[in-house]
Amino acid sequence: MRVNPLRRLAVGKRRRFLGRLNKTHYCALALLLSLLLSTSAFLLPSSALWILVALNGGLVVHGLLLKKKISALLKIATVQLVTTMGLYYLFHGESQLLEGAVVVLRVLLAMLPGWWLSSTQPPERLGEVLSWGLPHQWAFVVAASLSLLPFMSRELKEIYQIQCMRGARITPKALRNPKNWPEFIYCVLLPLLIQLLKLSKQMAISAKLRHFGNAAKATHWPSTRDSE
Amino acid sequence: MKSHFELEDALFIGFCATLLVVLKSMLRLKLGLSGHSMFLMTFFYLLCYGAVGRVGCITACGLLAGIVAMMLSVGKGGPLILLKFGLPAVAMDLTLLMIAGVFKLRWQCVIVALIGCLAWASKGWVENMLAGMTHQIALTKFALNFLQGGVFAIGAALIVPTVLRRLQSHDLLQDHHKQYK
Amino acid sequence: MNLIELKGIHFGYDTHQVAILDDLHLSVNHGECHCISGATGCGKSSLLHLIAGELSRPFEGEMIRHPALMVGLVMQDPNVQVLRQSVGAEIAFALENLGTPSVKMLEKVQQALRRVGLYISIDTPVDVLSLGQKYRLMLAAQLVFEPNLLLLDEPWTQLDNHGVQELYFVLKSLLSDGVAIVMVEHHPQAFGTLISHLWQLEQGKLVAGLYLPSVPREHKLNVTAAKATTSESCAEERVRISPHRFQFTGRETLFRCANTLSLAAGEIVALVGDNGSGKSSLLKALAGIQADIGQLPFSVLGKRPKLGIYGPNLSLLLQRPNRQLFEQTVLTEMQFSLRRFKLPLTRAEQMLAQLSLMGLAAASPHKLSYGQQHIIALASLACLTPKVLLLDDPFAGLDSVHCEKVWQLLLQLRQQGCAILLSSHREMSLDDVDRVWHIESGFLLDRSESMEQSYAG
Repeated sequence: MRVNPLRRLAVGKRRRFLGRLNKTHYCALALLLSLLLSTSAFLLPSSALWILVALNGGLVVHGLLLKKKISALLKIATVQLVTTMGLYYLFHGESQLLEGAVVVLRVLLAMLPGWWLSSTQPPERLGEVLSWGLPHQWAFVVAASLSLLPFMSRELKEIYQIQCMRGARITPKALRNPKNWPEFIYCVLLPLLIQLLKLSKQMAISAKLRHFGNAAKATHWPSTRDSE
Repeated sequence: MKSHFELEDALFIGFCATLLVVLKSMLRLKLGLSGHSMFLMTFFYLLCYGAVGRVGCITACGLLAGIVAMMLSVGKGGPLILLKFGLPAVAMDLTLLMIAGVFKLRWQCVIVALIGCLAWASKGWVENMLAGMTHQIALTKFALNFLQGGVFAIGAALIVPTVLRRLQSHDLLQDHHKQYK
Repeated sequence: MNLIELKGIHFGYDTHQVAILDDLHLSVNHGECHCISGATGCGKSSLLHLIAGELSRPFEGEMIRHPALMVGLVMQDPNVQVLRQSVGAEIAFALENLGTPSVKMLEKVQQALRRVGLYISIDTPVDVLSLGQKYRLMLAAQLVFEPNLLLLDEPWTQLDNHGVQELYFVLKSLLSDGVAIVMVEHHPQAFGTLISHLWQLEQGKLVAGLYLPSVPREHKLNVTAAKATTSESCAEERVRISPHRFQFTGRETLFRCANTLSLAAGEIVALVGDNGSGKSSLLKALAGIQADIGQLPFSVLGKRPKLGIYGPNLSLLLQRPNRQLFEQTVLTEMQFSLRRFKLPLTRAEQMLAQLSLMGLAAASPHKLSYGQQHIIALASLACLTPKVLLLDDPFAGLDSVHCEKVWQLLLQLRQQGCAILLSSHREMSLDDVDRVWHIESGFLLDRSESMEQSYAG
């Protein structure tokens, strides 16, 4: 029996469409989940905290299975633990150290879902979800800023290097002295800001010349294509 | 923050927010000091206000920075970062609503910076209280954070007027914005 | 009815300054190609923006636009106009704003791509395109909404010869489709017979003809004499490039260098190659600031290049040098490095006087024209009298007056014994420089040597 190729194409398209929908929706769900988990880290009574620990443990395992790094988070947690426990010892003596540990645990549990979210979800998809709520102009601004990111870091680096070669006191060694921080701001940040000011004007012109903001309802480039 | 902003102003705010996040992610590795993010935040927020010259742009910058940071998973990542960037921004904008034009630019910057820092430290305080920390310790932490952050915020607030004046003298800010004298 | 007609246009940036456009008349019709030339900063770009209706300040005079007029404008630097990350989304941007249904976009986008002769996938990231490809991408991003008037701002300076040629054929077919073109260009020769109207902008008015500044070409090197001295005194070697393979970690080889190349004191060498051939990266590697390039057998002033070890002895001028300017006045900008390296500050004034630019000393460097900024950035390096000077495309975007100033500075440094390596995306004449290195078809070689051999043979 022959399958109508057109029909097969249509089915394929629909399946892809559904897959796509699920991915973005999944991301939105992940965002909600992490928000929920983070908030409940503060609100749940201590007796119910073990549920949260178990759930977060699952998230950590998921993240680690995908080979994501957790060391930065652990560092923050250690610093938190040391400072808070130190203060508890100073103020309340040994008796309340356990309470202090619970506080640190709660703070850590509030941060973990965020780590999981950002290490398991691709940034573009997160952006897509976030821009659902944004007005058209701001969604455009976020997208433009992000696509400018490579340019920005390249410029930052190049201007830094040029000014270093011109003798500016901004080498890593010189920057250990706070006296030289203004030099960094004037030599590197100021020129970069000047560039960004000019660039924002030019990009705005470029966008307006291509009729940005003219239509009552802007349509969208079918970006479904990039998942194919 | 609908579309009241000119497109070029909106873009500049977006670039500032992105640059803020980029610099923060770079500096985090170098400096172990907490509170340095207050320096960057104050610097870019006040700069946005100076360059765009409208109440509301700091909030816009803060929210955009939060969104960008979330997407780039800078800092601790996750939805909480929106609050971290957003709260000081909203506080600064509200302050500006009340005191705009009352003081000289320099003092205005310092006051706004301190309020922003207060909002930033308060966020930690509320979090800690919610997490069940004792009053004493939460307050001590709050005071420490406020002090550390405050030093950085004032540092930034003092530098912004000079930067704005330089931009102005290069004719890079539009006419409708006030003179930075 | 004309597509667009300008009558008695007056326009100025500051009320107390001289008007940039003063009683200007121009009318453009279907299928015409107007080329406007003029000195840098005379208001050519402002004129284009005025026609496009995107001028930030008001103007006086009358502008009559045909009701069906649709304008597309490609500005000088394609990099500052890119708004999206992929080729397809970039071209579709205008369609989105015009409310074209998503289903119809794909076809229109592909049509626009074909029209500019770009045969690449619409999912290609914009980052990986060469400058010439990006220029045509911006062109496609305009053509997609079918403008009947296309404005181009100095396409020649941005593109290499290959890119100009490709653009030529695109414009030719557009003109035959009835699209009108107005371009600002110093080198209309590159577009030859396409141009139907040649104008020069002079004191705010359009006059028929081509702007040709009378610049004395004094800078020609007396090559034979120079060669003789170098061979006699056996000048000190400042830069040595041993055979190597130039590639970024994990990427394909950009080019190979089979023979040892060296640069001696008192020599100007040009490094010529197309856009994207690796010239900038090579210069940066020589200054020790190119990342992801591994260890290369380079020796600059007897040391392996690294940022911060040469002090005032090595200077590098990157592209768009105006981004290194930050001081309040031109004079303090020039003195900045002198102060940091503890050299006599009077050199800055001397240098300005030599270039007859003393008038700019107190001006803000950011209010200068692009060409002037370029000269100031270069002069602030030159007054350090470095032993090695590396320049990345120092003539890009300059008119002949400013090119001449750059040559003046370079020749002076050469006389003082500075070794100069400059890159260029256009062929350099051996009358201008001592030697030319080429990057072509994947090889870095000193062709002047092989040419001499062929002359000898």
